[in-house]
Order: sequence, then structure tokens, then C-alpha cells
Amino acid sequence: MKPQYKKALTVAAAIVVLFIVHTLLHQTNSFAAPVSAAGITSAENSGLNFGAEVLNGIQKFISFTGFRNASSGNLIMIAVGLLFIFLAIRFDYEPLLLVPIGTGIIIGNIPFFQDGGINLQLGIYQQGSVLNYLYYGVVKGIYPPLIFLGIGAMTDFSSLISSPRLILLGAAAQVGIFLTFLGALYLGFNMPEAGAIGIIGGADGPTAIFLSSKLANGSIVHGLQTKNLIGPIAIAAYSYMALVPVIQPPVMRLLTNKKERTIRMKPARAVSKREKIIFPIVALILTTFISPGALPLLGMLFFGNLLKESGVTKRLADTARTSLIDIVTILLGLTVGASTQADVFLTSQSILIFVLGALSFVVATAGGVIFAKVMNLFSSSDNKINPLIGAAGVSAVPDSARVVQTEGLRYDSTNHLLMHAMAPNVAGVIGSAVAAGIMMSFLM
Amino acid sequence: MFLEIQIPATIEEGIVIAFTGYAIVFLALLLLFYLFSGLSKFLSWQIRQNLIKTGRFPKHIKKEDDLHISGETAAAIAMAIYLCRDLHDDESNVLTIKKISKVYSPWSSKIYGINRWRKS
Repeated sequence: MKPQYKKALTVAAAIVVLFIVHTLLHQTNSFAAPVSAAGITSAENSGLNFGAEVLNGIQKFISFTGFRNASSGNLIMIAVGLLFIFLAIRFDYEPLLLVPIGTGIIIGNIPFFQDGGINLQLGIYQQGSVLNYLYYGVVKGIYPPLIFLGIGAMTDFSSLISSPRLILLGAAAQVGIFLTFLGALYLGFNMPEAGAIGIIGGADGPTAIFLSSKLANGSIVHGLQTKNLIGPIAIAAYSYMALVPVIQPPVMRLLTNKKERTIRMKPARAVSKREKIIFPIVALILTTFISPGALPLLGMLFFGNLLKESGVTKRLADTARTSLIDIVTILLGLTVGASTQADVFLTSQSILIFVLGALSFVVATAGGVIFAKVMNLFSSSDNKINPLIGAAGVSAVPDSARVVQTEGLRYDSTNHLLMHAMAPNVAGVIGSAVAAGIMMSFLM
Repeated sequence: MFLEIQIPATIEEGIVIAFTGYAIVFLALLLLFYLFSGLSKFLSWQIRQNLIKTGRFPKHIKKEDDLHISGETAAAIAMAIYLCRDLHDDESNVLTIKKISKVYSPWSSKIYGINRWRKS
């Protein structure tokens, strides 16, 4: 580009910027009217000159900027968001979740003018804002079932069908949910809130959001006024899911000896197509008859799996496991992140929820490993279970199965436990959804 | 007393809910376990009956033997079949040359991407 064009462009840009600033100042006057009407009126009455008016406008503009409205809470949360993004990019900790959530945390904590009851329709908790509309999917529990549809369409239940006894490990690890529930009650949360917090022990983000949107959404549940704990619970669940490779191995090592960690399991048998088709149908009917509260989650999970296994709806299964789950993950991650607005999120209760969440993951892992050891007492010597796979009973799919595989390889580089661990892992998904349904039926 | 622990009144109800809830989760997955253990046996029995009916049941297999094969065995058999049938050791030695013609389009024509009349 020739130098004279550059100069012309710079001048044009400067004019546009001046025009925008002028327009903004004009608008901020009207926005800020209720707050500082007295100031404006007095300025008008006294007939102050143009310079004073400009100064007044600039002052109001500054009062609307993030720099003016920032609180230490906002800055702390923005730092947390940056940490999430760093962990995802640098250490590859669940990047598909932590990047949207981290960015959401930053978006949700950009400070803006909120005084005097003015609704600028910017924040996630302000009626009519775009983020508020997107947040409806979380508050009304729409996103989690859609995520489950995608999970169903990408999950292979073969390992579970071939070794049905491993289903029990998925049930055993749910002890984390119920002990955390009791822990939350002990710490003073009311019954529905404790139920919502307990589900963090299921290590299943969508289930945690689904249950907290029903039990701890700030409305009256079970005759009790609840607080809005969706944000802290979702962030705790997803954070600890991302930290499964850090939380689980020490517990697994503590509860097993070297001999147990090197147990080789019998290879899984081949599963017929007929079995794979029957599984989602039968499991859907059985589990939802027992726990109808889990219908939105389990209905979608098994529907997605039927799309995959039927073999005649490949296009639908492909959409569910790719585009659909990706879109919902983006919206869910972003809005859950944005819901951590400092004034709502940074409370002592959030800290308690985070402590309980960490303990629940430890308890759930321990529950699965210990139960695997108990099962070994009743198993024949050629059909033992490697107790490490009990840790996969928490339903962080497929992270905890991957952790089991890594731990197994550490002690025997030829012992691949991944496929065995997938059985309790997917059973854990079913178990935590059933537990969520039971909590709903008890506490709503 | 060194430490006084105050237990909330709701904890008693909570214990009942926790025990009952955990039992129900276990029950649901236990039922799935029994169902799919039974289903696999039933399907195996059905295959055995079909083979017996059609006279294809191998004589060296006892009737009570497990007919299931492991995924590893299935993979080995599949690999053997692939190597036996699909590996192209013998070629037909017939060469076919197909002429591929492209439809002319100015949109992909390189000549229009060059500024021939550029004046400096």
C-alpha cells in the first residue's frame, strides 16, 4: 500500500474512533441518568461550558469500564480461568472441557456497570442477555441429556456385555455420592443442596449439572429454600474429572500391592451384534423402571447407543457423536464457566463444595478398588480381577479407564487393562445416573 | 470434653436416604448383571441348538463346553482369513490406463490468477 493511502486510512480511522467515542458518551449519559441525574441536572442548570460536559461524559464512560468496576473477586476468577486454559493447553488436561470453561470464567468475570438496578443485558444472571438465554440449557437441564445422547452414540458396551460381573464395580464406586451427601449434610447444607453436592462423587459432569439444576437452583425444593449452587458444583465436577490422573493413582497404589496390580485378566469374549442391540433396550427399560428420575439421562444414553449399534442409523449416530455433542459441549462449557461470576461464586460454600468434591473422588476410587478386592475373594484363581480396574468405576469416561491402563503398564508393560477398565467405567455412568434419579425421587 | 461435635438433625434422615439409595443403585446394576449373564448363556444355548439341529455341531466339542471365543482368538482368526484371502500375492498382470479428462473452468485457471497488466 502506498504511503499516502496509509495516511488517508489513519485519518479516516481517527474520525471513526472519535465518532464512536462521541456516540458512546452520548449513550452513557442516558444509561447513567438514574445514577447521577443530580449531577447532570446541576451541570445543565448552571450552564457549564462544553469542556465541563465532556469531562462529565468521560467520567461516566470511565465509570462504565471494566477497570472502574473490577473487584478483587473478578480478578481472582479471571486468574482461575487463565489457569484452566493453561492446564488444558500445556498439560492436555481435558482440553475439550477446560478451554471452554476457562474462557467462560473469563467472560463471566469481565466487570461491568451493575449499580442502581440497571440491566445492561450483559451478564449471565441478567434477564434477557444472550448468555442468560444460553444458560437456560443449564438451568433447565437441557444440555446434559444431549451430552448423554452423544456419549451413548460413541460408547461401546461390548466389554461390559462380555464381563457382566464388572458392572458391580460401577455400582460400588457410587459410594462416593452417598458419603459426600452425608458429608454435605454434616457441614450444614440442607437436604436438596447436599444431594446436589453428593453427585460430584459420581465423577460425571453432565449428571452433576442435571441434578444440581433440579435440587440446588435457588428455588424452593422439598419445602426448603435452596441456594444456586449449579456453578460451583459443575466447576468442581469438571475440574476433578480433569484431575483424575492426579487424584486416582495415589489412592490406587495405597490400596493395592504389587502382586495385585500385575494380575492378568482373562481376555474378553467376542460379543455378537444381537447382544449389542439388546443391551441398550433392556438396560433402558430396566434402569428407568427402577429409577424414573434418571429417564432424561439414561433414555438419551441408551437411545444414542441404539443408534450406534442398530447399524441402520449411521447418519444419526454420527451426528450425535460428533457435531451435536461438540455444539452442546461448547455451549455447556462456556455457560458453566460464565456462571462463576465472582459475586455469586466466591463464597465460603463454594470452598466447602470443592473440598467435598475432592474427598468424594477419593472415596469413590477407594470404593471401587476395595470392592474389586472383595470380589477377588469369591473368584476362582484363573478368573481374578485386577483391583486397579475398580478405580474406573467412577464414571469419568474414558479418563479413569486411561488412568487404570497407565497404572497397569507401570507395573507390567505387557498387561493392557484398558478394555477391562471400560466395563466398570461405562457401568459407572449408568450407576451415577441411577443415583441421580434416586436422589431426585427422595429430595424433590 | 475436648471436642464437641454437633450433628445436624437432618443427618439421621440423610443416613436412611444414603443407605437406601446406595442399595437401589446396587440392585439396579445387580439386576443388569444377572440379566446379561443369563442372556449370554441363553444366546449360547440357542446357537448350540441350531448347530445340533442342522447337524453342524462339532463332535470334538462336549455339549457342556463354553462356545464363546475370546476377542483375541476372534482377532487372530480374522487376521488369518484376511491374510489367506485378501493379500495380493498374485496380481492379474493386466494394466489399465484410464484417461482422465478435466472439465475446463475459468475459476481454477491459473492464467486468471496472474496479474498480467500490473503497472509498477
